[in-house]
Amino acid sequence: MKKLFVVVFLVLLLSSFVSAKLVVWCSENQVPALERLAAEFERDYGIEVEVQQVNFGDIKSNFLVAAPAGEGPDIIVGAHDWVGELAQDGLLEPLPFIPQRDAYYDVALEAFSYGGRLYGLPYALESIAIIYNKDLIFEDEVPTTIAELESIAMDIADDEIVGFIYDAPNFYFSFPFIAGYGGYIFKETADGLDPTDIGLNNEGAAKGVSLIRSWFDMGLIPRGANYALMDGLFVEGLAAFIVNGPWATPGYRDAGIDYGIIPFSEIELEPGVTPKPFVGVQGFMINSRSKSKIEAVEFVVNYMGSYRGQKAMFDVERRGIVRSDLYAEVEAQGGPEIYDIIQFSASASVGTPMPNIPEMAAVWGSMEDALNLVINAQDTVQNALDAAVEKIKAAID
Amino acid sequence: MTVKKLIILMLVIAFLAIFNAFMVWSIFVLYMDGRFSLMVVLVILTVMIDLFVLNPKGYPYRYMIPALVLLFILTLYPMYYTFEVAFTNFGTGHLFTRQEVVQRLLNDYFYVPEDPTEYDFSIFLRIRDYKPTDEFIILFERVDDGKEFFSARPLAEARDNQGNIISAAGTLHEGMQNNVEIGDRSYRIVRDPDTQRVITLVADTGEAYQYFYAPKDPDMSANAPHFISEIRGKWLRNAEFIDEAGNMLRLSPQTLYRTFATIERQYGLRTITDFSGQRPEQITVVYNRETDNNLTERDGAFFDIDDFGREFSVMGYISNVGFRQFRRLLEDPRVRGPFFSIFSWTFTWAGLSVLFSFVMGLALAITLNDRLLKGKKLYRTLLIIPWAIPSFISVLVWKNGLFNETYGILNRFLVTGLFGAEPIRWLGDAFWARVSVLMVNTWLGFPYMMTVCLGALQSIPDEFYEAASIDGASKVQQFGRITFPLLMVTIAPLLVGSFAFNFNNFVGIFLLTEGGPPIPGATTPAGSTDILISYTYKLAFYGRGQDFGFASAISIIIFAIVAGFSWLNFKVSRSFEEVSR
Repeated sequence: MKKLFVVVFLVLLLSSFVSAKLVVWCSENQVPALERLAAEFERDYGIEVEVQQVNFGDIKSNFLVAAPAGEGPDIIVGAHDWVGELAQDGLLEPLPFIPQRDAYYDVALEAFSYGGRLYGLPYALESIAIIYNKDLIFEDEVPTTIAELESIAMDIADDEIVGFIYDAPNFYFSFPFIAGYGGYIFKETADGLDPTDIGLNNEGAAKGVSLIRSWFDMGLIPRGANYALMDGLFVEGLAAFIVNGPWATPGYRDAGIDYGIIPFSEIELEPGVTPKPFVGVQGFMINSRSKSKIEAVEFVVNYMGSYRGQKAMFDVERRGIVRSDLYAEVEAQGGPEIYDIIQFSASASVGTPMPNIPEMAAVWGSMEDALNLVINAQDTVQNALDAAVEKIKAAID
Repeated sequence: MTVKKLIILMLVIAFLAIFNAFMVWSIFVLYMDGRFSLMVVLVILTVMIDLFVLNPKGYPYRYMIPALVLLFILTLYPMYYTFEVAFTNFGTGHLFTRQEVVQRLLNDYFYVPEDPTEYDFSIFLRIRDYKPTDEFIILFERVDDGKEFFSARPLAEARDNQGNIISAAGTLHEGMQNNVEIGDRSYRIVRDPDTQRVITLVADTGEAYQYFYAPKDPDMSANAPHFISEIRGKWLRNAEFIDEAGNMLRLSPQTLYRTFATIERQYGLRTITDFSGQRPEQITVVYNRETDNNLTERDGAFFDIDDFGREFSVMGYISNVGFRQFRRLLEDPRVRGPFFSIFSWTFTWAGLSVLFSFVMGLALAITLNDRLLKGKKLYRTLLIIPWAIPSFISVLVWKNGLFNETYGILNRFLVTGLFGAEPIRWLGDAFWARVSVLMVNTWLGFPYMMTVCLGALQSIPDEFYEAASIDGASKVQQFGRITFPLLMVTIAPLLVGSFAFNFNNFVGIFLLTEGGPPIPGATTPAGSTDILISYTYKLAFYGRGQDFGFASAISIIIFAIVAGFSWLNFKVSRSFEEVSR
């Protein structure tokens, strides 16, 4: 007991004398790339950068506890949809300036912007697309419209094989069809998203949800469809078409499934109209309460934001690229991993960033309720969507 | 013996001294951070522990110290904290105290004026014993006209509690061709004859300052680490220089700190006369120095007006909102509307969960208790399994493997397979979803009931049954007159406890249905299987970020309901008195 107290005391004492250095919280995969750039930074600047591995799911919640107390890391690596909440809490430092701004895709920078300021430096983006099993769908019958997909899937379905299945009650996966017809979550304005203007019960949204409902009514998607079911069926080669993201394809490759990817940019709802998926963006954010803000900004902007920094991140994590110059180089390489990246990036090119304002928390549950009611034929499309919008408005009021 | 005692005493005192030093230090840290409530808890704890150890009369209480520490830290303080938070707006956007927010508005917000003046800079350093020091002179070169200004090392005006400079100030002095006056000292300027660049500054007292570093001079990049850690990191990071026009210069973020530029603080403090009260009053307000607009404060946040004349929230702070969170609970139509249906379902859910798992557990316990049964141990082990598997896993198996409408075992093999009926929408229909959650919860709960019943059954003496059978009582009579009443003495308080647990069994609901299926046409997030705790969780955390104040108010109310109900239950069943006798 006594020993313990002495040790605890010494640790606490020592921790208050630590000299200036940068601390980065990132997930496991990113550690090698960050450490490489950190060594360069240390050489050039004489400031140590400590890369700490934290589970992705814990980074935001731990940051929310540590940062207000004036502790925690100087830099976090995380998802763009944290920005609204963290910036509103006053915990993020806006980036004053990034060199070679034009090299970045707009969608990636837009995702990290909140209230007209840029709160993070992106390094990866991801989006979902339609994935099909090449053993069931021949190369020459890959659909280019949703109607074609429906008829092919209906033809192929039998007692065992499912033509088309995805996690339809999940708003994330159903959003592309809702947004494709003109539904939107929050209206985009010059200085950010307007949470008072919700477009989830407009004509386009209703059209999209009706389409989703028709898939259940015609028996295309089995009732009770969810993510685990879809994933399981596809891995066993029992599903022809699914909707999923780049995180799933390595698993399908390992399972020996010969799959192809149809980006949403190459399948039409109606002539000239494609589904619009959410785009999620990963990046570096800076703690506004950091004592080494200046150095943190320099590390993020000059090192992680450089072509080499972005390439190092891509080498350890094969995710969608946010810089056009790097994309061009990678595109030329070829190979199954690169094929995935190219297809999912194409899908992202017609997508829209997932709203990063805290009000988004109210949307998921409400829309999931609406989708469930419609899919289970317990309510009409318009009624369910009107109720969902009411719920969202009441929650964010 | 006495030596041994002396050593023990010395050890105790040494231990106590270390403990006290640690506590005093913690208390001091908490005081500095302004966290007074936890500080008070630690003060009370320290005093009590010291008294118990030093006062001979307090000797018996020594053994309570570990329990006491845990009671304070794990039970009383969190309760107190919950109460405290329930009266504030603590949550997303309101994480800091007002004082901290004002400090940050004054220190962290800057704006670049219309046409900023930009200065390149170079550092001239004193070298002592061939080693760079942190004594330096800084040369500013105005980008517009190339004019040169000099400043001595800025003076530290404020430091934080770790000794880091958080504010430093200096003044620019225009330099001549060959000399410059900085304050009361004069320096001779040595220039490179070819480029006219300043190489060395020599003070009239003889010290020389050598050209050391300039951000835009690649020849000097080898000196960057020393500049960054010793010069910029310590002295220039928070330094402000006043130029000849009286403008403030800071390291410019726009060039990533490679130049200085005129940058103004966005917010300042000023005193205004407020006429809104009964009589004019002098108050201090935060104002926007760029637009000259006074910030307004309401709902625990500062509001400013943007370029388009629209109001926006700059930063929120934790403010005391009195009973507002509780009033919200009573007045919010989202709470009031579905409250009674949720409330009655919560009671039904908790009551039926207890009833079903108890009946099932008791029946199995009686079976297992039968002397004629073979392989008891095996059965008992198997029946404990639902309890032993983490519910996070088993509930997922129920959800996807058993209840799925198309692929679940129940529908595929029983309902449509065996009976040829229409598939049941287990989790999609309000009634069946309730049946489903009760089924799963019974499955999860019966092993516990079975275990306690088994124990209680074994404690009933066999003589009672012998006497009863001699008197000619049937098995049913024996159960009704002997087993059940004696069982209830032990089990009744556990049933009450189980009821209270299920009343708040968030996991049981959330893992399976997340409160769903939704109610058609409802404008609240309430679903058919939502119980109080799961519904209020949705209200507090599925709205605009995290609302800890509201969540705390809710937990206090739920605590009151559960405590009140448990108390009533103990009273009515009078089992409490039975046990305590």
